[in-house]
This record gives sequence, structure tokens and C-alpha cells, in this order.
Amino acid sequence: MPPLTRDTLPDDRELLPDFLAEGSEYLCAAEVALLRLEEDPTDEEALNTVFRAFHTVKGTAAFLGLTHIVTFAHAAESLLSRVREHQHPYTRDCATLSLRAVDMLTALLVSVSDALDGDGTWLLPAGYHDALRALTECNPDAIALAPLDVSTNDVVTDNGVTDAARAELTVESTIRIRTDRLDRLIEMVGELVIAQSMIAGDATLQHGDTSALAQKVTHTAKIVRELQDLSMSMRMVPLRTTFQKLARVVRDTAMKTGKNVQLITQGDEVEIDRALADMLTDPLIHMVRNAVDHGIERPSERDATRKARIGTVRLSACSASGQVVVQLTDDGRGLNREQLITKATQRGLIAPNHMMTDSDVYGLIFAPGFSTTESITDISGRGVGMDIVRRNLETMRGSIEITTTPGASTTFTMRLPLTLAVTDGMLVRVGGERFIVPLTHIHMSVRPDAEMLSTVIGQGEAVLLRGELLPIIRLHRVFDVPDAEQNPTHGLLMIVGDGDRRSALLVDELLGQQQVVAKPLSPALGNVPGVSGGAILGDGRVGLILDVNETVNLSHLHQRRLHHAYLG
Amino acid sequence: MPTSVDAAGATSRAGKYLTFYLGSEEYGLAILTVSEIIGMQPVTRVPRLPPFVRGVINLRGKVLPVTDLRRKLGMTHEAEHDGCIVVVHAHGLLMGLVVDRVSEVVTLADADITDAPAFGSGIRTELLCGIATGGGHVRLLLDIDAVLAATDVSVATSACSGGNCL
Repeated sequence: MPPLTRDTLPDDRELLPDFLAEGSEYLCAAEVALLRLEEDPTDEEALNTVFRAFHTVKGTAAFLGLTHIVTFAHAAESLLSRVREHQHPYTRDCATLSLRAVDMLTALLVSVSDALDGDGTWLLPAGYHDALRALTECNPDAIALAPLDVSTNDVVTDNGVTDAARAELTVESTIRIRTDRLDRLIEMVGELVIAQSMIAGDATLQHGDTSALAQKVTHTAKIVRELQDLSMSMRMVPLRTTFQKLARVVRDTAMKTGKNVQLITQGDEVEIDRALADMLTDPLIHMVRNAVDHGIERPSERDATRKARIGTVRLSACSASGQVVVQLTDDGRGLNREQLITKATQRGLIAPNHMMTDSDVYGLIFAPGFSTTESITDISGRGVGMDIVRRNLETMRGSIEITTTPGASTTFTMRLPLTLAVTDGMLVRVGGERFIVPLTHIHMSVRPDAEMLSTVIGQGEAVLLRGELLPIIRLHRVFDVPDAEQNPTHGLLMIVGDGDRRSALLVDELLGQQQVVAKPLSPALGNVPGVSGGAILGDGRVGLILDVNETVNLSHLHQRRLHHAYLG
Repeated sequence: MPTSVDAAGATSRAGKYLTFYLGSEEYGLAILTVSEIIGMQPVTRVPRLPPFVRGVINLRGKVLPVTDLRRKLGMTHEAEHDGCIVVVHAHGLLMGLVVDRVSEVVTLADADITDAPAFGSGIRTELLCGIATGGGHVRLLLDIDAVLAATDVSVATSACSGGNCL
């Protein structure tokens, strides 16, 4: 009889979502433990964590009538118990087999989850029977499992909020709540903050004998501020969960490319908004794969250049003034300026002999369709990755920069806001209008002297700052604001952007830093170029949040059109 | 425009309408589409949008787009002073319409309503779903779907981007 490829869900499905969420947590912990076990096969605690995962999943699946999961979990558990009883050495192949078993169990959970939304028939993931046979015979070569996309490991349904996947699950100190309720709570707290500041700013409080009232208002303000901090913190998760997924990626990619690489993480207790942590995962996976595949050299090459045999990929996070800075460094071969220029010229991305600064050249990596490998490996050679990475980071209102030492290292530095729910911005005035510029994009602001200003033929105005010539973007022109300051020496130039897109925005005045809740503009308005959203300011009016990158692009478009207009 | 089908199968325009003035002309909007009426407040201009979009305001923490109905209907004269904002909703979208002053809620019967002829006076008659006469008033009934669709700025801005609209 041919092996079954599908099954039906039991009639009673009420308990399934919880099982899926919990099961996925256990499997995440198991993966981490298996990687630890590979480093140190005597780590009893890691082994027990894996056991606990397989055993619990097996037990609950049996209770729920999911026989295929039971069979598989049992086989995985048996393999490990043979290891525990020392009937089987924990070889590298064994480790790979166990990790693939975790992948298969995760895929099984995803299958069940998909079936819940459908008609109740769930498909066994491809390779199920081969994997099962391999486990019982302990023959890892038999598993022809396509490497699972790590991002599908998270099968938590939208209704659950998971705590960090630690090896020891402290279930008693957490509670599951729906994210939509949490979001609504945070939104309301945001409105409370605005309402409260409107009371505090009311004219009545400035006149007459209102000191008693003013005291009460101040007292309320303190409570509201604390409430806001608390509500913000509820959305935060430590980066540890995201970083842990990368350990597996490093291991698999290194094995595949025949390299020795270790992943060192630092600052994984740094917290960031859960939504941002999710969005950061795919870009980081791609960059880590790149680092191992292209950055780190083969052991023979490293020996020849007197480098340590084991390559290091270092991932670090730190939080500073409302931003989270994540750095990814590899001690590989670095970026080759000439090679990048050659490739870009070949692909028609730049004109030959075009003058470029180092940061311009390294920025070429982010151009769509760019790739410096001759053969497209199935890992990372396709050249579609880095531009999507940058775009994803921009969606997160973050930024990315590259620095490199040829032959020694490459570092990607990503700056992210703590949360998207709240934007830390600088309120600026242009004419009679106010805009909010996200702090993550601002480098500095300066009032220029006349000597610093110049005009570059065919390219518009520029300012010379610390040896760098930056294009000046007149916001009043981009946004058609009347009565704005036209003379840069009487206004302020705000230096924004990264790499080859650094520019100076001309504004009238800085009105101060403000933390605002970003609200989307109505879909009825469509996409407004240069504006990423609106926010309610302290006086109750709406302020527009500037999309720095779009604004820079708009201005270049405008200048290019003027240029063509002059040339006829 | 809430349409009901009567026994004969014809769509009925009868029902309650909120009437308001733009200049000396009286208009009507089906009451079911009206969410609320608020006083005029400072509008934050949103750049690079067609001139009939005044901008956005803060409606209890939500960012609400505001359309100038006079400009939308092609009226040449601006109001002497701003009146108030009628907040309407249709197809899940919320929009504020600036009007001179709000009048009353009236109940209109099908007998009172006739189709709008092509005036040729510069008013965009495709935005009307009918004209109501009765009680000595002439009321121009607005088709809210047509008004909201016509304020679809993405169509207007894409038409703009090819030329010298920067």
C-alpha cells in the first residue's frame, strides 16, 4: 500500500491553536539546545531540553489524535534516547539528523495550522516518510529535505504573544494576550498623552490663581508618562529570539560551503518592538548568509593569509538615545573596491570612470540586480537580496551603512527606531508649516556661512561641510510652501541620509524634539510622495512626518528636470 | 447613496437628507452617509495634492482628510469665511467636506426628486443624483459615491506627474 500523504484533523479543534503555539515554542528551544549540544555533546541540560520538547509534542499530539506527529516525535525521541544511553555516539551526522527532525516537526505544525483555516485535510510535508525512515535507521543521508526557510519556524498564530524562547520555559510568569488588544491599549495611551498635554497647555492655566489646579495637572502628567513608558515596554521583546535563529543559518551555510564559522552575539538582551524584530529577521538571515558565503574565506585561504582558522561572524546590538544599533561584522575578505566598480560598470549601473567616493562604491551593493559572484549559488548569489534588505530597513524607518577593511573585515551597521508605534522626531518649521523629521535619519544641523555655499553646474546648490560637498534640498520648493526662508545663512541645514544620498535639507527653524504616534494618512489620499504619515502634535493639530528618502529622490527628480529644461 | 428598491423594481432616492449651503445654493446628502458635523478647525496642508484637497485634521486621534466641496464642484468663488466640516463615510473611507453652513435634516419623497439636467453652468452635474423641489426649496442632491470617487487623488496626481507639476 503506498504511504499516506494526507490526514484529517480531529473533530474537536478547540485545543489545536494552543498546541501549535506551545509546540512551536518547544521546538524553537529544542533547536537552540541542539546547537549547544553540537558544541558540547556532554551538555546534559541541552539534551534534556530537546527530550522535553519531543516528549511534550508527542504527548499532546497523541491526546489530540494527530497520529503522524506522534509517530515522528516518537522516532526523534528514540534516536536521542539511544544517544543518551550511549548506544549511539552524537556525531555530526546525528546532529544534522536531529536538526532536520526539528524542521520536519515544525513543518508538520505548519501543515496543521494551514489545515485549520481550510477544510480539515492536512498534507504531510514532503519527505516525511523518508525522514521517518532515516530516523529509525539513523541514516542522515536518506533525508533529502530541502532546507526549510528559517522564517517559517514561527508558527505562532496571530492571536498569541510569545515571550522570548529561552531554553527553560518559565510558563508561570507569562500570559498570552491578543496583539490587537495590546495595540489598541497602546493607541489609547497615546491619545491620553496628547489629551493630557492639551490640558496642561491650556491658556486658563496660565492666568490667575490656578496653582492648585496646576499641581493636579502636573501630578496627572507624571502618572500618564509612567503609563506610556509601561505600555511601550509591553510591545518590546529582546533581540535574543531573532539572533538565535541566525545560529542555525550560520551552521547550515557554513556546512554547505565547507567553511568554519562561529557566530558570536552581543547585546541580545537589548529590546525592540516585536513587529520590528520580526521584520529584521529576513534581512539579517540574508546578510548572515552573505557573510558566510562571500565574506569568510575557505580554511585554506585563511591559513595562507595567517588568519584564525575559524571565521567569526559577530552580531551585536546596543541601544542609544532612542535608537537600536545592530552591527553585523565578519572577519572575512572585505569588499574589493575595484571589483565592485568593474561589476557595476559591466551591469550598466554606473558610467565608466564615474568619480565615486568609497561609500558610494560600497553602496553599490544595494543596487538592484547587483552581485559579485560568478556563479549563482542557491544560497545568496542571485543579486536580488541587498536592495530588498535596504528597502525592508527603510520600511522599518531604519538605515544601513557599510564599512570595510579590504582583506580583513566587513561591517554592516543598522540603525532602527525602538518602535514604530512611536516616532522620535525633530519638529521643524518651513514657512508656516511644520514637519516631523525622524531622528534616526538626522546626523546634525548647522547654520552655514556664505563661504560654505556653492553652486555645482547642472546639479544645483551645495554646501561644503567637513570636506564633503552635500546637495542642498529646499524643502519649501519640494512642498510648495510660501513665505519660507530662502537664504540658507538665515535658516538651518539639516544633514540627513546615508552614504551617497546624504543631503542638506533647508528649514526655517528647529522647534524641538518630539515623540509622536505616527498615524497613516487616509487611503483616500493615496500615496503622498515625501510624506510617510501624520502625527497629532501637542497642540492638537496634525503634523506631517517626512519620508527622508522619498524627499531626497523627489528633489533629485526636480533638479534633473530643471537641468533638462535648461538644456532644451 | 443608499438606494432602496420599491415594489416596481425602480431604485428610490427617497429618504432623509442633511441639507447645507454653498453660497446661495442648497445641497443635500443622504443622512446615512453623514457621520458627524464638526466646527471648522485649522487644517494641516498636505503638499503635492490637487487643490480641492484642503489637507488633514485631527479627529479624536485619527487623521482625517478634508476636501473643499466648492472647489470639488468647480465653483469659481471662494467662501467669504469658512463654515464647518461634514464628516461622511462610504466604502470604509472617512472624509471631511468643508461647507458654508449646515441647514437641517429633511425627509424627501420620490415625487419631489427629479433627475439633474445638464446645466452648463460649470457645476459638475455628474456628482448629483437628483434635484429636489418641494416646500419652496431647490436642493441639489449629491451622490456621495461619485463625490468620493472624484476625490480619488491618485488619479488626479498621476495625471499631474507627467507635466510640469513640480
